[in-house]
Amino acid sequence: MLKYIVRRLIGAIPVLIGLSIILFLFVRLLPGDPAIAILGQHATPALILQVHQSLGLDLPIWVQYIDYVGGLLHGDFGASFINGRPVLEDFLLRFPATIELTVAALIFAVGLGIPLGRLAARHPNGWIDGIVTVISLFGISVPIFVLGYTMVFIFAVQLHWLPATSQIDARLQLPLVTNFVVIDAILAGRPDALVDALKHLVLPAIALGSIPFAIITRITRASVLDVTNEDYVRTARAKGLTEKRVDSRHIMRNAWLPVTTIIGLEVGGLLGGAVITETVFSWNGVGSWVVDAIQNHDYFVVQSSILIFALIFLVVNLVVDIGYAFLNPRIRYA
Amino acid sequence: MTVGAASISRPVRERASRGLWRDAGRRLLRNGPAIVGLVCILIFVVGALLAPVLSSYDPSVGKLVDRMKPPSPAHLMGTDLLGRDEFARVLYGARLSLQLGTISVVFGLFFGIVIGAAAGGLGGKVDALLMRIVDVLLAIPGILLAIGIVAWLGRGQIQIMLAVGVSYTPIFARLLRGSLLALREADFVLAGRSIGASRLRLLVRHMLPNALTPLIVQATLALATAIIDVAGLGFLGLGPGDPRRTSSSSRRPPSSSAPSASTSWATGCARPWTRG
Amino acid sequence: MALLEVEGLLVRFRTHDGTVYAVNGVSFQVDEGETLGLVGESGCGKSVTSLALMRLLPKPAGRVEGGHVRLDGTELLDLSEAEMRDLRGRELAMIFQDPMTSLNPVLTIQEQMVETIRAHTELTAAQATARAVELLGTVGIPRPETRLKAFPHEFSGGMRQRVMIAMALALHPRLLIADEPTTALDVTIQAQVLELLRALTAEARTAVILITHDLGVVAGMTRRINVMYAGYIVETAPTAELFAHPSHPYTVGLLHSIPRLDAPEGEPLIPIEGTPPDQRHAPVGCPFAPRCAWRLPACWTTNPPLEPLVPGTPVVLTGDRATHRVACLNLPTAEEAEAGMPLRDGFVAAPAPGSVVDELATAEVPA
Repeated sequence: MLKYIVRRLIGAIPVLIGLSIILFLFVRLLPGDPAIAILGQHATPALILQVHQSLGLDLPIWVQYIDYVGGLLHGDFGASFINGRPVLEDFLLRFPATIELTVAALIFAVGLGIPLGRLAARHPNGWIDGIVTVISLFGISVPIFVLGYTMVFIFAVQLHWLPATSQIDARLQLPLVTNFVVIDAILAGRPDALVDALKHLVLPAIALGSIPFAIITRITRASVLDVTNEDYVRTARAKGLTEKRVDSRHIMRNAWLPVTTIIGLEVGGLLGGAVITETVFSWNGVGSWVVDAIQNHDYFVVQSSILIFALIFLVVNLVVDIGYAFLNPRIRYA
Repeated sequence: MTVGAASISRPVRERASRGLWRDAGRRLLRNGPAIVGLVCILIFVVGALLAPVLSSYDPSVGKLVDRMKPPSPAHLMGTDLLGRDEFARVLYGARLSLQLGTISVVFGLFFGIVIGAAAGGLGGKVDALLMRIVDVLLAIPGILLAIGIVAWLGRGQIQIMLAVGVSYTPIFARLLRGSLLALREADFVLAGRSIGASRLRLLVRHMLPNALTPLIVQATLALATAIIDVAGLGFLGLGPGDPRRTSSSSRRPPSSSAPSASTSWATGCARPWTRG
Repeated sequence: MALLEVEGLLVRFRTHDGTVYAVNGVSFQVDEGETLGLVGESGCGKSVTSLALMRLLPKPAGRVEGGHVRLDGTELLDLSEAEMRDLRGRELAMIFQDPMTSLNPVLTIQEQMVETIRAHTELTAAQATARAVELLGTVGIPRPETRLKAFPHEFSGGMRQRVMIAMALALHPRLLIADEPTTALDVTIQAQVLELLRALTAEARTAVILITHDLGVVAGMTRRINVMYAGYIVETAPTAELFAHPSHPYTVGLLHSIPRLDAPEGEPLIPIEGTPPDQRHAPVGCPFAPRCAWRLPACWTTNPPLEPLVPGTPVVLTGDRATHRVACLNLPTAEEAEAGMPLRDGFVAAPAPGSVVDELATAEVPA
């Protein structure tokens, strides 16, 4: 088991290196000159040269790469062209918001998706199955922004049940310690802020989680149906075990496997979808930051955000792979 | 011994197979949800193709005097806040969605097949190198990759299609490579090698036609998500011809909402059809 | 009263494409400690019968639509699911054909055996584990204490089947149903597993229904044999008697399909013509008629009941002296059974009524 983990970790290294190279080239090979982007109308050849030197763009490319990697390892991800602040600093400020959103979406997708999938599998081709299928079809087909705005229209504008934007009502004046609004509300002992923060999370989490929810529901249903028809489930019943036991130990223990793999893959989709969701709901996370950065040609921001997202994705998949090996004894010794 | 006679009970009505396409057509027509999906798609595609015929309005031009009108015989779906006919916008938006989505997938297939065929067909170092690159691309979640590429290449229709296409390339490449690797050991390939067929000929004439099947299935599914991805990029203001945003605090609903609405129709119809 | 009494069992599968008539009125009995063989080709309904006895038919398609099944006098078909569950594993046990897929791949052998034991007894986990070790030893698994912690995929096929047997016999069931227990195993291992089964069940006086399509397997293991075809029992007799005097044309055909080392050189193999019937249609007449070389015109319309081979013999249902019964309107004679084909002058198997084959049927009766 340990060998498996070590092997996976080692295998991830070339990917990391490749990733850093590609993202490095991403900035360097951009059309247009960042110096001009910074200087705007004040660009003169002399000033351009100065900016190049200050940004280190006049050095040979492989030196630039070494610098870049060195910087990464020291936590130096470059600075924003717009406000000059170190990318890492701003990133860490905004990142918790994205994490809160992503985790909430994941909880929604898994917390609702798996039970619904199991329910549909229990009565295949019945009316329950039909409804669940329609719901998941809906989740996959409707783009996040369409769903998001529609929900805002119905629940915020018309019904006034839930708020439309931001993470929390600014009037509550919650002091931010960790930048995780939910956690901060708990730390500050403010139940009113907590409730408000959670209300703000509902619509964005549903919008973002709609696609993973749909996929998880479908996969769970298919997986449970497959397993239920396996011989060993028949054996379990022949042994006279209660239906509950058959379900939990025999069916679900095996049905989990494909589902966990999918969850790992869906996290990537969540990270990408966060970009859109944050835009719709005016959420102060990394996603909306990246979009602005692209508009403003703030390339270090874009590069670093993608790098970190990719890293997170890699780590999550690594954890999922290891978890999978834990659940499925057959591949532990592969 | 006598000849074994047919059973005297009612014979089962089995129709003889009359060719691949007719069999496929018959199977399609027997599947309820598939028919519904097919009808939806036909409505959509026909609407998109016949947009100029079905609507006399220019989707991008509107008279402010007509803004925010409810549906009427003159404007079947009413007008938007700039006075543009919504029905026309939906039709032309459908056109755009279909175009961009389809061509994106074609790009993705093209790059994916080239990379996958090179990796699976040539093997060895080429395979290892190409797969490392594919792994790196896979490490970046799809939409982010597309966003990154658009950021790199700039805005424009071609750029969007390339970006979305490239974000699907790793999946296609992986799929094709996998099939090719399995086929390399197939008997008919060994037979071809034993009579001296060149590697290229084996690859193109024999292996690829067999290996393409999972790709076809994946491509049809990808078509649906590609349309959504393209719409997503448009929403973020990275679409073709979108006005530049200057401030980060104000986010208004995009003016390209009509293509988005037709997008939902498109993908909603595509799903049951591709499953059926 | 016999341990197991089955009367007129009817099993149908209701599907979108129609109904499958899987079991069409099967009746038999099994005494305590008796081993009954259920023989027939794929699809003849033998597995379905056994699943019906355990009430493990796939839902919702599979249904028992008639008949009785009594275990020690209790009508099994009337029991609630909870009552049935109590009996399964404890009084009635079953082992299946493919040991590869019949064990849960993500649970250790220990977990799977202990859960069976604890489901039906009050033993603690430690006691159940000890019992499991004991059982593994009985079935011949070396170093059972260590092997308990292993997963199914770490065992070979034969070992896995032994584990299945151990699990099935753990609670000393009165009746064991073995559905093709050795079909998926290598020939050398088959003998070992069968011998193990025989020894254990003899010692515990467990009644066994042994289901197989392999006549060689039943020959050494069973006291009586039921031959099934298309959901019916077509012949039943004590084992030795069946091999000595096969009477139903199907049984005759089966025995002649097996190549024999001691047959004279050049003697042809006589296969049974035709294919198994399509059981999506309600049966009309004798199910074997389309393939039978002895058929009469009446065979197309009348389904003969099981009757004693020697007319008038009192019917004994179980034991070594069970009556040899056959369901046939035109029994082969002893010589014909020996030869494997009709030997009567000018006899032609009756053609199907009103079918085109009338013209094509010719009789080629070798001298």
